[in-house]
Amino acid sequence: MSTTASQPRHGTFILLRRLRRPLVVLIAVYAVSVLGFTVIVGQTPDGQPWRMSFLHAFYFVSFLGTTIGLGEIPYPFSDAQRLWATASIYAAVTAWLYAIGSLFAVLQDPMFRRISHEAGMRREVRRLREPFYLLCGYDDSAYRVTHELTQDGVRVVVVDNVAERVDAVDVDDHRVEVPALKADASDPKALVLAGLTHPLCAGVVAMTGSDAINTKISLSTRLLAPKLPVLAVARDHVWHRRLAAAGADNIINPFDTFAERMAMAIRTPSLHVIYEALTTQLGTALAEAPVVPRGRWVLCGSGLFARALRRQLQALDIEVFIVDTELDNSSDAGNSLQGDPTDPEVLKAAGVEDADALVAGTPVDIDNLAIVLAARTLNKTQYVAVRQTQHRNTPLFVAAKTDVVMFASYLVAGEVLRHLRAPLLSAFLRRARSQDEAWAALLLAELRKVVGEAVLESWGMDVLPASLPAVCEALQKGETVTLERLLTRVDGGGDRMRAVALMLQRGQDRHLLPDADMPLEVGDQILFCGRDLARTRMRGIALTHALAAFKPPSPPEAKFQGVP
Amino acid sequence: MSIERVLFAFVIVLALTLNVGFTVGDLTDEHQHNRYELFGAIVVSLIATVMKFGDRTPLGSTMLATSLVADLQLLAAAAAWGYFASLGETLAPGQMATVVSLAIGALVANVVSVVLLVIEVAGLRR
Repeated sequence: MSTTASQPRHGTFILLRRLRRPLVVLIAVYAVSVLGFTVIVGQTPDGQPWRMSFLHAFYFVSFLGTTIGLGEIPYPFSDAQRLWATASIYAAVTAWLYAIGSLFAVLQDPMFRRISHEAGMRREVRRLREPFYLLCGYDDSAYRVTHELTQDGVRVVVVDNVAERVDAVDVDDHRVEVPALKADASDPKALVLAGLTHPLCAGVVAMTGSDAINTKISLSTRLLAPKLPVLAVARDHVWHRRLAAAGADNIINPFDTFAERMAMAIRTPSLHVIYEALTTQLGTALAEAPVVPRGRWVLCGSGLFARALRRQLQALDIEVFIVDTELDNSSDAGNSLQGDPTDPEVLKAAGVEDADALVAGTPVDIDNLAIVLAARTLNKTQYVAVRQTQHRNTPLFVAAKTDVVMFASYLVAGEVLRHLRAPLLSAFLRRARSQDEAWAALLLAELRKVVGEAVLESWGMDVLPASLPAVCEALQKGETVTLERLLTRVDGGGDRMRAVALMLQRGQDRHLLPDADMPLEVGDQILFCGRDLARTRMRGIALTHALAAFKPPSPPEAKFQGVP
Repeated sequence: MSIERVLFAFVIVLALTLNVGFTVGDLTDEHQHNRYELFGAIVVSLIATVMKFGDRTPLGSTMLATSLVADLQLLAAAAAWGYFASLGETLAPGQMATVVSLAIGALVANVVSVVLLVIEVAGLRR
């Protein structure tokens, strides 16, 4: 990236500079040949001495080098002219070969290719006319994020330092054009080139494989574009604080995410159903609550993943037993065993036969599958969770039929998409996690009643003139607009939309499950979930400026009231 | 002293001298202007242009621009001459005046080029 140091270099100039010598040779050969033809004396058919004019000479030399054999014009040549033509042919062909060879050499030159790639990227980014997200790293999860965002017509710019991945962006066939830069994302210049300081950049997602690089990206963004939100992925807790200090607005840790979901499934199964319905693509509120045992857990592996899971499980007073070839110093002899977990004898010694749950959480896919198969022969009834690290092994994990597969790349993609699409949803899920099962069960019952078997969608609405003009106008006139009224269908004679308000954010205050008669204020941000049709209807309010009548004619049935 | 710098200055000055040599003489008299000299001026001017490629300093860019101007004027002069020659045996005084005045335009550009070259060299000394 050093080439962008002082000023953007123009690829054309570099090309011309490299071609100086071949071009001079070409011009010289042409000049000498043309000159020769104008000097050498020929004969007209009637025997008069004749000299070629410059026009004829240039014409002849022009086709002499490239397409030998258009004939001798305008009269047959004399011997002297033929001699000169022969010499000119060899000289011109050689000069052309030299020039064309040099041209291709420059075009193939890695530096020239990089410069033209960067220049092309700069042009593409400059031409962006819609808000876009800057995605650093293009692995499996980033591919999914890009794919889903572009499905919605959102623009994305990708930076990755692996050429194959950058090439894959073109091949992956996204719905809208995705400019991709091959550069090191830890280089601030690369980020600026990819549009970090572009006025339409809507946010930065740091999802390279390295926590350190993600931190550097956050830092660069905080310093160069202070207003941009940064979403960073971190796998090691050591980096969380550094990332926060570097200015990451949200930190996604796939291991924590999985561990928290596991804990949620154990502690508040109803909330887990809601969570799954809200975060998976085709989730409904009717899904069965998962049955995850409390009992005794055997954890194979001692890395970051196992540690995150153990922390969550131990917080629920669950007995956790660790098995791994190398144990870290946080395990003691009473609840851990050193040994190869793929060995059935070791698993037996770890007490898998009477364990309630087994987690195969080493970083190696094949080891994890071996553990699952070995453990299955010892204990057929236990709950089995397995960790997957490589996308290509998916068929094996599907065939292994475990209770749950933890695939970090998939989790990261889901979390990133959730943060980008509905930032309030993350806040809601965080708040909901501290509620108890009774609260969650009540909310689940409400969702099942209102939304039914339809796919549960979530969306945010801002009470701002741009998104909800009708509400803002009514508020300006001094009317009271309640949440109830926003949730009332404009055309349906006062019917309720099939949606539930999950959270309302007013300034720094967040109201979990706001009351239906809560009056709205300008600037409120509301998170809804419900049927897709309800979302379309609510968006319709924004478009048509129409709002349901002041008082809904038929008061809705008694509803679930939030905030316990 | 490097061969490259000598060649560079040589080509630029040669472009000017050939250009001067062609334009000197009666504006309208065909016999006072040598066609080979015009040809030489064009070739040297083109080579000078190529040699100036890729210099990103402000001075270098200006030199490239003046060279391009000279090329344009000289090629226009040659094209005009060729066209007028195809119309009849000899050129009318007015036609010859057009050819030579186009070359005089190129001359000005070449003078600027040489001045810039001198400025650049003077700058190097300091």
